[in-house]
Amino acid sequence: MKNIIIGQYLPGTSFLYKMDPRSKIIALMILMISTFILKDVTHILIMLGVVLLILKIGGIPIARIARGLKPIMILLLFTFTFQIIFIKTGTLIFDAELTLTVFTLPLMIFIILFWYLTRRYIKFKFLYLLITAFGILTMLALYTPGSVLSSSTLEVYGDGLSGAFFIMVRLIIIVTLSTILTLTTKPTDLNLGLEKILKPLSIIRINAEEIAMIISIALRYIPTLLDEANKIMLAQASRGVDFTEGKLKDKVMQIISLLVPMFIISFKRSDDLANAMEARSFVPGKRRTRLHTLSWHNLDTTVIVFCIFIFISAITVRVMF
Amino acid sequence: MNIIEIKDLSFSYQDEIDALSNVTLSVKKGEWVSILGHNGSGKSTLSKLIIGLLKADSGEIKVDGVILNEESVHDIRRKIGIVFQNPDNQFVGVTVEDDIAFGMENLCFEQSDIIDKIKEYAEKVSMSEYLKKEPHALSGGQKQRVAIAGILAMKTDIIIFDEATSMLDPKGRESIMNYIKEINKAGVTVITITHDMKEAVLSDRIIILKEGRVIACGDTNDILNDKETLNSSNLELLLPLKLQYLLDEANLSNDKVKDILWQLSLNK
Ligand SMILES: Nc1ncnc2c1ncn2[C@@H]1O[C@H](COP(=O)(O)OP(=O)(O)OP(=O)(O)O)[C@@H](O)[C@H]1O
Ligand SMILES: [Mg+2]
Repeated sequence: MKNIIIGQYLPGTSFLYKMDPRSKIIALMILMISTFILKDVTHILIMLGVVLLILKIGGIPIARIARGLKPIMILLLFTFTFQIIFIKTGTLIFDAELTLTVFTLPLMIFIILFWYLTRRYIKFKFLYLLITAFGILTMLALYTPGSVLSSSTLEVYGDGLSGAFFIMVRLIIIVTLSTILTLTTKPTDLNLGLEKILKPLSIIRINAEEIAMIISIALRYIPTLLDEANKIMLAQASRGVDFTEGKLKDKVMQIISLLVPMFIISFKRSDDLANAMEARSFVPGKRRTRLHTLSWHNLDTTVIVFCIFIFISAITVRVMF
Repeated sequence: MNIIEIKDLSFSYQDEIDALSNVTLSVKKGEWVSILGHNGSGKSTLSKLIIGLLKADSGEIKVDGVILNEESVHDIRRKIGIVFQNPDNQFVGVTVEDDIAFGMENLCFEQSDIIDKIKEYAEKVSMSEYLKKEPHALSGGQKQRVAIAGILAMKTDIIIFDEATSMLDPKGRESIMNYIKEINKAGVTVITITHDMKEAVLSDRIIILKEGRVIACGDTNDILNDKETLNSSNLELLLPLKLQYLLDEANLSNDKVKDILWQLSLNK
Protein backbone atom coordinates (compact mmCIF):
# COMPACT_ATOMS: atom_id res chain seq x y z
CA MET A 1 0.00 0.00 0.00
CA LYS A 2 2.83 2.35 0.85
CA ASN A 3 4.10 2.06 -2.69
CA ILE A 4 1.47 4.49 -3.76
CA ILE A 5 3.99 7.32 -4.17
CA ILE A 6 6.36 5.23 -6.20
CA GLY A 7 3.33 3.69 -7.83
CA GLN A 8 4.19 1.03 -10.34
CA TYR A 9 7.39 2.78 -11.29
CA LEU A 10 9.99 0.37 -12.61
CA PRO A 11 13.47 1.90 -12.62
CA GLY A 12 15.24 1.80 -15.97
CA THR A 13 17.32 3.70 -18.47
CA SER A 14 15.74 3.12 -21.89
CA PHE A 15 14.47 5.87 -24.16
CA LEU A 16 11.10 5.73 -22.40
CA TYR A 17 12.80 6.99 -19.25
CA LYS A 18 14.60 9.77 -21.08
CA MET A 19 11.41 11.19 -22.51
CA ASP A 20 9.64 14.20 -21.10
CA PRO A 21 6.43 13.18 -19.30
CA ARG A 22 4.54 15.64 -21.49
CA SER A 23 5.59 13.94 -24.70
CA LYS A 24 4.85 10.56 -23.16
CA ILE A 25 1.33 11.59 -22.26
CA ILE A 26 0.73 13.12 -25.68
CA ALA A 27 2.20 10.08 -27.46
CA LEU A 28 -0.03 7.83 -25.39
CA MET A 29 -3.09 9.84 -26.37
CA ILE A 30 -2.23 9.75 -30.07
CA LEU A 31 -1.59 6.02 -30.05
CA MET A 32 -4.80 5.35 -28.15
CA ILE A 33 -6.86 7.38 -30.58
CA SER A 34 -5.14 5.62 -33.47
CA THR A 35 -6.05 2.28 -31.94
CA PHE A 36 -9.68 3.32 -31.72
CA ILE A 37 -9.70 4.45 -35.33
CA LEU A 38 -8.68 1.01 -36.60
CA LYS A 39 -11.54 -1.30 -37.50
CA ASP A 40 -9.84 -4.34 -38.98
CA VAL A 41 -8.24 -7.35 -37.30
CA THR A 42 -5.11 -7.26 -39.47
CA HIS A 43 -4.53 -3.57 -38.78
CA ILE A 44 -5.02 -3.93 -35.07
CA LEU A 45 -2.53 -6.80 -35.10
CA ILE A 46 0.00 -4.52 -36.80
CA MET A 47 -0.71 -1.99 -34.06
CA LEU A 48 -0.12 -4.68 -31.46
CA GLY A 49 3.18 -5.36 -33.21
CA VAL A 50 4.11 -1.69 -32.89
CA VAL A 51 3.29 -1.76 -29.19
CA LEU A 52 5.34 -4.92 -28.70
CA LEU A 53 8.20 -3.21 -30.54
CA ILE A 54 7.97 -0.27 -28.14
CA LEU A 55 8.11 -2.71 -25.24
CA LYS A 56 11.12 -4.46 -26.76
CA ILE A 57 13.09 -1.27 -27.45
CA GLY A 58 11.95 0.23 -24.16
CA GLY A 59 13.25 -2.80 -22.31
CA ILE A 60 10.03 -3.47 -20.43
CA PRO A 61 9.52 -7.12 -19.52
CA ILE A 62 6.31 -8.57 -20.93
CA ALA A 63 5.70 -10.18 -17.52
CA ARG A 64 5.22 -6.73 -15.99
CA ILE A 65 2.66 -5.87 -18.64
CA ALA A 66 0.89 -9.17 -18.06
CA ARG A 67 0.65 -8.27 -14.40
CA GLY A 68 -0.94 -4.99 -15.45
CA LEU A 69 -3.48 -6.92 -17.53
CA LYS A 70 -4.54 -9.11 -14.64
CA PRO A 71 -7.22 -6.80 -13.23
CA ILE A 72 -8.95 -6.61 -16.61
CA MET A 73 -8.89 -10.36 -17.28
CA ILE A 74 -12.49 -10.72 -16.15
CA LEU A 75 -13.50 -7.82 -18.37
CA LEU A 76 -11.67 -9.40 -21.30
CA LEU A 77 -13.35 -12.74 -20.70
CA PHE A 78 -16.73 -11.11 -20.40
CA THR A 79 -16.47 -9.12 -23.63
CA PHE A 80 -15.09 -12.16 -25.39
CA THR A 81 -18.01 -14.37 -24.35
CA PHE A 82 -20.49 -11.61 -25.04
CA GLN A 83 -19.20 -11.11 -28.59
CA ILE A 84 -19.18 -14.82 -29.36
CA ILE A 85 -22.69 -15.44 -28.07
CA PHE A 86 -24.46 -12.45 -29.57
CA ILE A 87 -22.86 -11.88 -32.96
CA LYS A 88 -24.52 -14.22 -35.41
CA THR A 89 -23.19 -13.11 -38.80
CA GLY A 90 -20.52 -14.50 -41.09
CA THR A 91 -19.76 -18.15 -41.57
CA LEU A 92 -20.76 -20.71 -38.99
CA ILE A 93 -17.55 -22.11 -37.60
CA PHE A 94 -18.69 -24.33 -34.85
CA ASP A 95 -21.91 -25.46 -33.27
CA ALA A 96 -22.73 -27.77 -30.46
CA GLU A 97 -25.81 -28.95 -28.67
CA LEU A 98 -25.60 -28.19 -24.97
CA THR A 99 -27.90 -30.33 -22.88
CA LEU A 100 -28.52 -30.15 -19.20
CA THR A 101 -29.82 -33.43 -17.77
CA VAL A 102 -30.63 -34.71 -14.29
CA PHE A 103 -27.15 -36.21 -14.19
CA THR A 104 -25.13 -33.36 -15.57
CA LEU A 105 -26.74 -30.71 -13.37
CA PRO A 106 -25.42 -32.13 -10.06
CA LEU A 107 -22.14 -32.95 -11.78
CA MET A 108 -21.85 -29.37 -12.91
CA ILE A 109 -22.58 -28.09 -9.41
CA PHE A 110 -19.99 -30.48 -8.07
CA ILE A 111 -17.32 -29.23 -10.50
CA ILE A 112 -18.06 -25.61 -9.63
CA LEU A 113 -17.88 -26.42 -5.93
CA PHE A 114 -14.62 -28.25 -6.48
CA TRP A 115 -13.22 -25.29 -8.37
CA TYR A 116 -14.36 -22.92 -5.66
CA LEU A 117 -12.70 -24.91 -2.88
CA THR A 118 -9.45 -25.70 -4.66
CA ARG A 119 -8.77 -22.48 -6.52
CA ARG A 120 -6.86 -20.91 -3.64
CA TYR A 121 -4.21 -23.62 -3.94
CA ILE A 122 -3.72 -23.14 -7.66
CA LYS A 123 -1.10 -20.68 -8.83
CA PHE A 124 -2.58 -19.79 -12.20
CA LYS A 125 -6.07 -18.96 -11.03
CA PHE A 126 -7.28 -17.48 -14.26
CA LEU A 127 -6.12 -20.41 -16.32
CA TYR A 128 -7.77 -22.72 -13.80
CA LEU A 129 -11.04 -20.83 -14.19
CA LEU A 130 -10.82 -21.12 -17.97
CA ILE A 131 -10.11 -24.85 -17.81
CA THR A 132 -13.02 -25.40 -15.44
CA ALA A 133 -15.39 -23.42 -17.66
CA PHE A 134 -14.18 -25.28 -20.70
CA GLY A 135 -14.56 -28.59 -18.90
CA ILE A 136 -18.17 -27.83 -18.02
CA LEU A 137 -18.95 -26.81 -21.59
CA THR A 138 -17.42 -29.99 -23.01
CA MET A 139 -19.34 -32.09 -20.55
CA LEU A 140 -22.59 -30.39 -21.47
CA ALA A 141 -21.89 -30.92 -25.14
CA LEU A 142 -20.86 -34.57 -25.00
CA TYR A 143 -22.40 -36.30 -22.05
CA THR A 144 -26.20 -36.61 -22.24
CA PRO A 145 -27.68 -39.54 -20.29
CA GLY A 146 -30.90 -39.20 -18.30
CA SER A 147 -33.91 -37.05 -18.86
CA VAL A 148 -33.21 -33.64 -20.41
CA LEU A 149 -33.88 -30.58 -18.25
CA SER A 150 -33.08 -28.00 -20.89
CA SER A 151 -30.99 -27.69 -23.98
CA SER A 152 -29.66 -24.98 -26.24
CA THR A 153 -27.25 -24.68 -29.12
CA LEU A 154 -23.94 -22.89 -28.93
CA GLU A 155 -23.07 -21.43 -32.31
CA VAL A 156 -19.84 -19.64 -33.01
CA TYR A 157 -19.75 -17.50 -36.16
CA GLY A 158 -16.75 -16.10 -37.96
CA ASP A 159 -17.64 -12.48 -37.26
CA GLY A 160 -18.26 -13.23 -33.61
CA LEU A 161 -14.88 -14.84 -33.23
CA SER A 162 -12.99 -12.14 -35.10
CA GLY A 163 -14.97 -9.40 -33.33
CA ALA A 164 -14.17 -10.92 -29.96
CA PHE A 165 -10.54 -11.22 -30.91
CA PHE A 166 -10.47 -7.65 -32.22
CA ILE A 167 -11.94 -6.16 -29.06
CA MET A 168 -9.62 -8.18 -26.90
CA VAL A 169 -6.54 -7.02 -28.76
CA ARG A 170 -7.75 -3.45 -28.66
CA LEU A 171 -8.25 -3.59 -24.90
CA ILE A 172 -4.86 -5.18 -24.43
CA ILE A 173 -3.21 -2.43 -26.50
CA ILE A 174 -4.92 0.34 -24.52
CA VAL A 175 -4.00 -1.14 -21.16
CA THR A 176 -0.46 -1.90 -22.28
CA LEU A 177 0.05 1.66 -23.46
CA SER A 178 -1.07 3.17 -20.19
CA THR A 179 0.93 0.62 -18.24
CA ILE A 180 4.02 1.69 -20.19
CA LEU A 181 3.36 5.26 -19.07
CA THR A 182 2.99 4.40 -15.39
CA LEU A 183 5.88 1.94 -15.40
CA THR A 184 8.33 4.45 -16.80
CA THR A 185 7.17 7.70 -15.19
CA LYS A 186 7.24 8.57 -11.50
CA PRO A 187 3.90 9.89 -10.24
CA THR A 188 5.52 13.22 -9.40
CA ASP A 189 6.77 13.61 -12.98
CA LEU A 190 3.44 12.45 -14.32
CA ASN A 191 1.77 15.04 -12.16
CA LEU A 192 4.12 17.76 -13.38
CA GLY A 193 3.56 16.68 -16.99
CA LEU A 194 -0.22 16.76 -16.58
CA GLU A 195 0.04 20.16 -14.97
CA LYS A 196 1.89 21.58 -17.95
CA ILE A 197 -0.43 19.94 -20.47
CA LEU A 198 -3.52 21.21 -18.68
CA LYS A 199 -2.10 24.71 -18.38
CA PRO A 200 -4.10 26.07 -21.35
CA LEU A 201 -7.23 25.30 -19.33
CA SER A 202 -6.56 28.49 -17.37
CA ILE A 203 -8.57 30.20 -20.10
CA ILE A 204 -11.66 28.54 -18.71
CA ARG A 205 -10.45 29.37 -15.18
CA ILE A 206 -9.23 25.91 -14.29
CA ASN A 207 -5.96 26.27 -12.42
CA ALA A 208 -3.85 23.28 -13.40
CA GLU A 209 -1.11 24.23 -10.98
CA GLU A 210 -3.46 24.08 -8.03
CA ILE A 211 -4.89 20.75 -9.14
CA ALA A 212 -1.36 19.40 -9.46
CA MET A 213 -0.50 20.72 -6.00
CA ILE A 214 -3.55 19.01 -4.53
CA ILE A 215 -2.62 15.73 -6.21
CA SER A 216 0.96 15.88 -4.98
CA ILE A 217 -0.16 16.61 -1.41
CA ALA A 218 -2.62 13.74 -1.60
CA LEU A 219 0.22 11.51 -2.81
CA ARG A 220 2.35 12.69 0.07
CA TYR A 221 -0.33 12.12 2.73
CA ILE A 222 -1.88 8.81 1.70
CA PRO A 223 0.85 6.70 3.34
CA THR A 224 0.74 8.86 6.46
CA LEU A 225 -3.02 8.47 6.74
CA LEU A 226 -2.76 4.72 6.18
CA ASP A 227 -0.27 4.59 9.01
CA GLU A 228 -2.68 6.53 11.14
CA ALA A 229 -5.56 4.21 10.28
CA ASN A 230 -3.37 1.31 11.28
CA LYS A 231 -2.55 2.90 14.61
CA ILE A 232 -6.19 3.64 15.33
CA MET A 233 -7.16 0.08 14.49
CA LEU A 234 -4.50 -1.22 16.83
CA ALA A 235 -5.63 1.16 19.54
CA GLN A 236 -9.26 0.11 19.11
CA ALA A 237 -8.27 -3.55 18.99
CA SER A 238 -6.44 -3.19 22.29
CA ARG A 239 -9.71 -1.87 23.71
CA GLY A 240 -11.54 -4.95 22.52
CA VAL A 241 -12.85 -3.94 19.10
CA ASP A 242 -12.56 -6.88 16.75
CA PHE A 243 -12.09 -5.78 13.16
CA THR A 244 -12.08 -9.27 11.72
CA GLU A 245 -15.47 -10.66 12.60
CA GLY A 246 -18.91 -9.70 13.76
CA LYS A 247 -22.33 -9.11 12.34
CA LEU A 248 -23.06 -6.38 9.84
CA LYS A 249 -24.14 -4.04 12.62
CA ASP A 250 -20.86 -4.60 14.47
CA LYS A 251 -18.93 -4.06 11.26
CA VAL A 252 -20.63 -0.72 10.72
CA MET A 253 -19.78 0.32 14.28
CA GLN A 254 -16.16 -0.74 13.74
CA ILE A 255 -15.90 1.30 10.59
CA ILE A 256 -17.38 4.31 12.34
CA SER A 257 -14.91 3.90 15.17
CA LEU A 258 -12.19 4.09 12.54
CA LEU A 259 -13.61 6.85 10.38
CA VAL A 260 -14.45 9.38 13.08
CA PRO A 261 -10.92 9.68 14.45
CA MET A 262 -9.55 9.59 10.89
CA PHE A 263 -11.69 12.56 9.91
CA ILE A 264 -10.73 14.54 12.98
CA ILE A 265 -7.04 13.83 12.43
CA SER A 266 -7.26 14.73 8.74
CA PHE A 267 -8.95 18.04 9.45
CA LYS A 268 -6.39 18.96 12.08
CA ARG A 269 -3.63 17.93 9.71
CA SER A 270 -4.94 19.87 6.77
CA ASP A 271 -5.34 22.93 8.96
CA ASP A 272 -1.74 22.68 10.16
CA LEU A 273 -0.51 21.95 6.67
CA ALA A 274 -2.28 24.97 5.20
CA ASN A 275 -0.68 27.06 7.94
CA ALA A 276 2.75 25.65 7.20
CA MET A 277 2.32 26.33 3.49
CA GLU A 278 1.15 29.89 4.01
CA ALA A 279 3.92 30.53 6.50
CA ARG A 280 6.37 29.52 3.80
CA SER A 281 4.92 32.25 1.60
CA PHE A 282 2.70 30.04 -0.52
CA VAL A 283 -0.06 32.09 -2.13
CA PRO A 284 -2.46 30.09 -4.31
CA GLY A 285 -2.31 31.12 -7.93
CA LYS A 286 0.81 33.21 -7.52
CA ARG A 287 3.82 32.59 -9.72
CA ARG A 288 6.48 30.35 -8.23
CA THR A 289 9.68 28.88 -9.57
CA ARG A 290 10.12 25.12 -9.61
CA LEU A 291 12.78 22.73 -8.50
CA HIS A 292 11.76 20.20 -11.12
CA THR A 293 11.26 21.52 -14.60
CA LEU A 294 10.67 19.62 -17.77
CA SER A 295 12.82 19.81 -20.84
CA TRP A 296 11.82 18.77 -24.32
CA HIS A 297 14.54 17.04 -26.32
CA ASN A 298 14.90 15.89 -29.91
CA LEU A 299 13.93 12.43 -28.74
CA ASP A 300 10.52 13.75 -27.70
CA THR A 301 9.96 15.38 -31.05
CA THR A 302 11.01 12.20 -32.86
CA VAL A 303 8.61 10.08 -30.83
CA ILE A 304 5.74 12.48 -31.37
CA VAL A 305 6.43 12.60 -35.12
CA PHE A 306 6.45 8.79 -35.17
CA CYS A 307 3.12 8.71 -33.31
CA ILE A 308 1.59 11.23 -35.68
CA PHE A 309 2.79 9.06 -38.56
CA ILE A 310 0.96 6.12 -37.02
CA PHE A 311 -2.10 8.25 -36.50
CA ILE A 312 -2.15 9.33 -40.14
CA SER A 313 -1.59 5.74 -41.26
CA ALA A 314 -4.49 4.66 -39.08
CA ILE A 315 -6.78 7.22 -40.67
CA THR A 316 -5.58 6.25 -44.14
CA VAL A 317 -6.21 2.52 -43.70
CA ARG A 318 -9.57 3.26 -42.13
CA VAL A 319 -10.63 5.37 -45.13
CA MET A 320 -9.03 3.17 -47.81
CA PHE A 321 -10.15 -0.27 -46.70
CA MET B 1 16.15 49.04 16.23
CA ASN B 2 13.14 46.85 16.97
CA ILE B 3 12.38 44.43 14.17
CA ILE B 4 9.28 43.07 15.92
CA GLU B 5 7.09 45.23 18.11
CA ILE B 6 3.97 43.86 19.75
CA LYS B 7 1.60 46.09 21.67
CA ASP B 8 -1.30 45.01 23.89
CA LEU B 9 -1.98 41.88 21.88
CA SER B 10 -4.95 39.75 22.95
CA PHE B 11 -6.30 36.65 21.33
CA SER B 12 -8.70 33.86 22.15
CA TYR B 13 -9.75 30.77 20.23
CA GLN B 14 -13.49 30.16 20.04
CA ASP B 15 -13.76 29.77 23.82
CA GLU B 16 -13.87 32.65 26.29
CA ILE B 17 -10.49 31.94 27.92
CA ASP B 18 -7.79 34.17 26.46
CA ALA B 19 -4.91 32.25 24.92
CA LEU B 20 -3.00 35.53 25.04
CA SER B 21 -3.89 38.67 26.95
CA ASN B 22 -2.29 42.10 26.69
CA VAL B 23 1.04 40.86 25.44
CA THR B 24 3.54 43.62 24.87
CA LEU B 25 7.08 42.86 23.80
CA SER B 26 9.74 43.72 21.29
CA VAL B 27 12.61 42.01 19.56
CA LYS B 28 15.66 43.90 18.39
CA LYS B 29 17.20 43.36 15.00
CA GLY B 30 19.95 40.73 15.08
CA GLU B 31 19.04 39.55 18.53
CA TRP B 32 18.38 36.00 19.79
CA VAL B 33 15.35 35.87 22.03
CA SER B 34 13.86 32.87 23.81
CA ILE B 35 10.18 32.64 24.55
CA LEU B 36 9.85 30.40 27.54
CA GLY B 37 6.62 29.01 28.95
CA HIS B 38 4.81 25.94 30.21
CA ASN B 39 2.54 23.80 27.99
CA GLY B 40 -0.46 25.81 26.86
CA SER B 41 1.04 29.15 27.87
CA GLY B 42 0.39 30.54 24.41
CA LYS B 43 3.81 30.35 22.78
CA SER B 44 2.70 28.75 19.54
CA THR B 45 -0.33 31.00 19.41
CA LEU B 46 1.96 34.02 19.64
CA SER B 47 4.13 32.82 16.78
CA LYS B 48 1.08 32.20 14.58
CA LEU B 49 -0.16 35.71 15.32
CA ILE B 50 3.19 37.22 14.34
CA ILE B 51 3.03 35.79 10.82
CA GLY B 52 -0.66 36.48 10.47
CA LEU B 53 -1.99 32.93 10.50
CA LEU B 54 -4.30 33.98 13.31
CA LYS B 55 -5.99 37.34 13.61
CA ALA B 56 -5.61 39.20 16.89
CA ASP B 57 -8.72 40.27 18.79
CA SER B 58 -6.99 43.51 19.76
CA GLY B 59 -3.56 45.02 19.76
CA GLU B 60 -0.94 45.66 17.13
CA ILE B 61 2.00 43.83 15.59
CA LYS B 62 4.74 45.66 13.70
CA VAL B 63 7.38 43.81 11.75
CA ASP B 64 10.30 45.82 10.39
CA GLY B 65 8.29 48.99 10.88
CA VAL B 66 5.24 47.72 8.99
CA ILE B 67 1.95 47.13 10.76
CA LEU B 68 0.61 43.63 10.16
CA ASN B 69 -2.72 43.70 8.34
CA GLU B 70 -4.35 42.00 5.39
CA GLU B 71 -2.36 43.94 2.83
CA SER B 72 1.04 43.66 4.45
CA VAL B 73 0.75 40.05 5.57
CA HIS B 74 2.36 38.53 2.46
CA ASP B 75 5.31 40.92 2.57
CA ILE B 76 5.79 40.24 6.25
CA ARG B 77 5.72 36.49 5.72
CA ARG B 78 8.59 36.83 3.27
CA LYS B 79 10.69 38.23 6.09
CA ILE B 80 9.86 35.57 8.66
CA GLY B 81 10.55 31.86 8.55
CA ILE B 82 8.95 29.62 11.11
CA VAL B 83 9.66 26.03 11.97
CA PHE B 84 6.52 24.60 13.51
CA GLN B 85 6.22 22.25 16.42
CA ASN B 86 4.79 19.21 14.62
CA PRO B 87 7.18 18.07 11.89
CA ASP B 88 4.64 15.74 10.31
CA ASN B 89 2.09 18.43 9.53
CA GLN B 90 4.50 20.80 7.84
CA PHE B 91 6.03 18.39 5.37
CA VAL B 92 4.63 19.67 2.08
CA GLY B 93 6.87 17.99 -0.48
CA VAL B 94 6.60 14.46 -1.78
CA THR B 95 10.29 13.94 -1.03
CA VAL B 96 12.86 15.57 1.24
CA GLU B 97 14.32 17.68 -1.56
CA ASP B 98 10.87 18.79 -2.68
CA ASP B 99 10.08 19.88 0.83
CA ILE B 100 13.29 21.85 1.30
CA ALA B 101 12.61 23.48 -2.07
CA PHE B 102 9.00 24.43 -1.32
CA GLY B 103 9.66 27.75 0.47
CA MET B 104 12.32 28.78 -2.04
CA GLU B 105 9.96 28.01 -4.92
CA ASN B 106 7.37 30.29 -3.37
CA LEU B 107 9.95 33.05 -2.98
CA CYS B 108 10.81 32.61 -6.68
CA PHE B 109 14.46 31.62 -6.24
CA GLU B 110 16.24 30.63 -9.45
CA GLN B 111 16.14 26.90 -10.15
CA SER B 112 19.94 26.52 -10.05
CA ASP B 113 20.01 28.43 -6.79
CA ILE B 114 17.36 26.12 -5.33
CA ILE B 115 19.39 23.06 -6.27
CA ASP B 116 22.56 24.48 -4.67
CA LYS B 117 20.74 25.50 -1.50
CA ILE B 118 19.08 22.10 -1.11
CA LYS B 119 22.53 20.52 -1.10
CA GLU B 120 23.98 23.12 1.23
CA TYR B 121 21.24 23.01 3.84
CA ALA B 122 20.66 19.27 3.72
CA GLU B 123 24.32 19.03 4.59
CA LYS B 124 23.89 21.46 7.48
CA VAL B 125 21.18 19.33 9.09
CA SER B 126 22.89 16.02 8.16
CA MET B 127 20.15 14.89 5.79
CA SER B 128 22.17 14.71 2.56
CA GLU B 129 21.68 10.98 2.16
CA TYR B 130 17.93 11.25 2.41
CA LEU B 131 17.15 13.78 -0.32
CA LYS B 132 15.05 11.37 -2.39
CA LYS B 133 13.25 9.82 0.59
CA GLU B 134 9.57 10.20 1.24
CA PRO B 135 8.37 11.55 4.57
CA HIS B 136 6.77 8.32 5.77
CA ALA B 137 10.19 6.70 5.60
CA LEU B 138 11.68 9.27 8.00
CA SER B 139 11.74 9.44 11.78
CA GLY B 140 10.26 12.38 13.68
CA GLY B 141 13.67 13.89 14.31
CA GLN B 142 14.63 13.56 10.66
CA LYS B 143 11.44 15.31 9.60
CA GLN B 144 12.26 18.06 12.04
CA ARG B 145 15.70 18.43 10.45
CA VAL B 146 14.10 18.71 7.01
CA ALA B 147 11.72 21.38 8.27
CA ILE B 148 14.65 23.33 9.70
CA ALA B 149 16.60 23.05 6.44
CA GLY B 150 13.58 24.21 4.44
CA ILE B 151 13.26 27.36 6.54
CA LEU B 152 16.99 28.13 6.74
CA ALA B 153 17.24 27.88 2.95
CA MET B 154 14.67 30.65 2.56
CA LYS B 155 17.20 33.06 4.07
CA THR B 156 14.62 35.16 5.89
CA ASP B 157 15.61 38.05 8.17
CA ILE B 158 13.80 36.53 11.13
CA ILE B 159 13.49 32.84 12.01
CA ILE B 160 11.18 31.46 14.67
CA PHE B 161 11.89 27.96 15.97
CA ASP B 162 8.82 26.59 17.75
CA GLU B 163 10.27 23.73 19.80
CA ALA B 164 12.01 22.80 16.60
CA THR B 165 14.54 20.50 18.21
CA SER B 166 12.19 18.63 20.54
CA MET B 167 12.63 15.32 18.74
CA LEU B 168 16.35 15.53 18.09
CA ASP B 169 18.90 13.48 19.99
CA PRO B 170 21.28 15.46 22.24
CA LYS B 171 24.01 15.53 19.63
CA GLY B 172 21.67 16.63 16.87
CA ARG B 173 20.21 19.30 19.11
CA GLU B 174 23.64 20.62 19.98
CA SER B 175 24.69 20.88 16.36
CA ILE B 176 21.47 22.68 15.41
CA MET B 177 21.84 25.01 18.39
CA ASN B 178 25.39 25.78 17.33
CA TYR B 179 24.18 26.49 13.84
CA ILE B 180 21.47 28.78 15.16
CA LYS B 181 24.15 30.67 17.05
CA GLU B 182 26.13 30.94 13.83
CA ILE B 183 23.31 32.37 11.71
CA ASN B 184 22.41 34.71 14.56
CA LYS B 185 26.00 36.01 14.56
CA ALA B 186 25.65 36.49 10.81
CA GLY B 187 22.78 38.88 11.43
CA VAL B 188 19.59 36.81 11.43
CA THR B 189 17.12 37.64 14.17
CA VAL B 190 16.28 34.41 15.98
CA ILE B 191 13.34 33.58 18.22
CA THR B 192 13.42 30.17 19.87
CA ILE B 193 10.28 28.95 21.57
CA THR B 194 10.83 26.35 24.24
CA HIS B 195 9.93 25.12 27.69
CA ASP B 196 13.45 23.92 28.22
CA MET B 197 15.53 26.39 30.18
CA LYS B 198 18.73 24.73 29.00
CA GLU B 199 17.97 25.99 25.51
CA ALA B 200 16.83 29.38 26.69
CA VAL B 201 20.07 30.22 28.47
CA LEU B 202 21.86 30.25 25.11
CA SER B 203 19.92 33.29 23.94
CA ASP B 204 20.54 36.99 24.58
CA ARG B 205 17.18 37.64 26.10
CA ILE B 206 14.33 35.65 27.64
CA ILE B 207 10.62 36.36 27.60
CA ILE B 208 8.54 34.23 29.94
CA LEU B 209 4.89 33.51 29.22
CA LYS B 210 2.47 32.16 31.76
CA GLU B 211 -1.17 31.52 30.99
CA GLY B 212 -1.07 33.90 28.06
CA ARG B 213 0.67 36.76 29.85
CA VAL B 214 4.22 38.01 29.77
CA ILE B 215 5.46 37.62 33.31
CA ALA B 216 9.08 38.46 32.70
CA CYS B 217 11.22 39.92 29.98
CA GLY B 218 14.88 40.79 30.16
CA ASP B 219 18.51 39.84 29.62
CA THR B 220 19.17 36.17 30.18
CA ASN B 221 21.37 36.77 33.23
CA ASP B 222 18.85 39.05 34.89
CA ILE B 223 16.04 36.57 34.32
CA LEU B 224 18.09 33.73 35.75
CA ASN B 225 18.70 35.71 38.92
CA ASP B 226 15.01 36.54 39.28
CA LYS B 227 14.15 33.72 41.63
CA GLU B 228 10.56 34.68 42.38
CA THR B 229 9.47 34.94 38.76
CA LEU B 230 11.14 31.72 37.78
CA ASN B 231 9.58 29.87 40.67
CA SER B 232 6.14 31.14 39.75
CA SER B 233 6.48 30.29 36.05
CA ASN B 234 5.66 26.55 36.34
CA LEU B 235 8.91 25.77 34.56
CA GLU B 236 11.40 23.10 35.41
CA LEU B 237 14.46 24.93 36.76
CA LEU B 238 17.96 24.00 35.72
CA LEU B 239 19.82 21.92 38.25
CA PRO B 240 22.66 24.43 38.78
CA LEU B 241 20.06 27.13 39.20
CA LYS B 242 18.17 25.14 41.82
CA LEU B 243 21.42 24.49 43.56
CA GLN B 244 22.33 28.13 43.54
CA TYR B 245 18.99 29.15 45.03
CA LEU B 246 19.19 26.54 47.74
CA LEU B 247 22.77 27.39 48.60
CA ASP B 248 21.83 31.04 48.84
CA GLU B 249 19.33 30.16 51.52
CA ALA B 250 21.46 27.68 53.44
CA ASN B 251 24.23 28.30 55.87
CA LEU B 252 27.12 26.92 53.96
CA SER B 253 28.20 24.11 56.24
CA ASN B 254 29.58 21.08 54.46
CA ASP B 255 26.91 18.75 55.77
CA LYS B 256 24.17 21.06 54.58
CA VAL B 257 25.62 21.19 51.06
CA LYS B 258 25.81 17.41 50.95
CA ASP B 259 22.27 17.20 52.14
CA ILE B 260 21.06 19.57 49.45
CA LEU B 261 22.96 17.75 46.74
CA TRP B 262 21.43 14.46 47.81
CA GLN B 263 17.95 15.89 47.84
CA LEU B 264 18.38 17.38 44.41
CA SER B 265 19.73 14.24 42.84
CA LEU B 266 16.90 12.23 44.36
CA ASN B 267 14.30 14.65 43.11
CA LYS B 268 15.73 14.60 39.65
N1 LIG C 1 -6.74 25.34 17.50
C1 LIG C 1 -7.07 25.63 18.77
N2 LIG C 1 -8.38 25.74 19.12
C2 LIG C 1 -8.72 26.04 20.38
N3 LIG C 1 -7.85 26.24 21.37
C3 LIG C 1 -6.53 26.15 21.11
C4 LIG C 1 -6.08 25.83 19.79
N4 LIG C 1 -4.74 25.80 19.80
C5 LIG C 1 -4.37 26.08 21.08
N5 LIG C 1 -5.43 26.31 21.86
C6 LIG C 1 -5.39 26.66 23.28
O1 LIG C 1 -4.69 27.88 23.42
C7 LIG C 1 -3.80 27.82 24.53
C8 LIG C 1 -2.38 28.13 24.09
O2 LIG C 1 -1.94 27.12 23.20
P1 LIG C 1 -0.51 27.13 22.50
O3 LIG C 1 -0.53 26.06 21.49
O4 LIG C 1 -0.20 28.49 22.06
O5 LIG C 1 0.43 26.72 23.72
P2 LIG C 1 1.99 26.47 23.73
O6 LIG C 1 2.57 27.45 24.70
O7 LIG C 1 2.53 26.48 22.36
O8 LIG C 1 2.08 25.03 24.38
P3 LIG C 1 3.09 23.84 24.06
O9 LIG C 1 4.28 24.04 24.91
O10 LIG C 1 2.34 22.64 24.48
O11 LIG C 1 3.39 23.87 22.61
C9 LIG C 1 -3.96 26.45 25.14
O12 LIG C 1 -4.76 26.57 26.28
C10 LIG C 1 -4.65 25.64 24.09
O13 LIG C 1 -5.54 24.73 24.69
MG1 LIG D 1 3.37 25.10 21.10
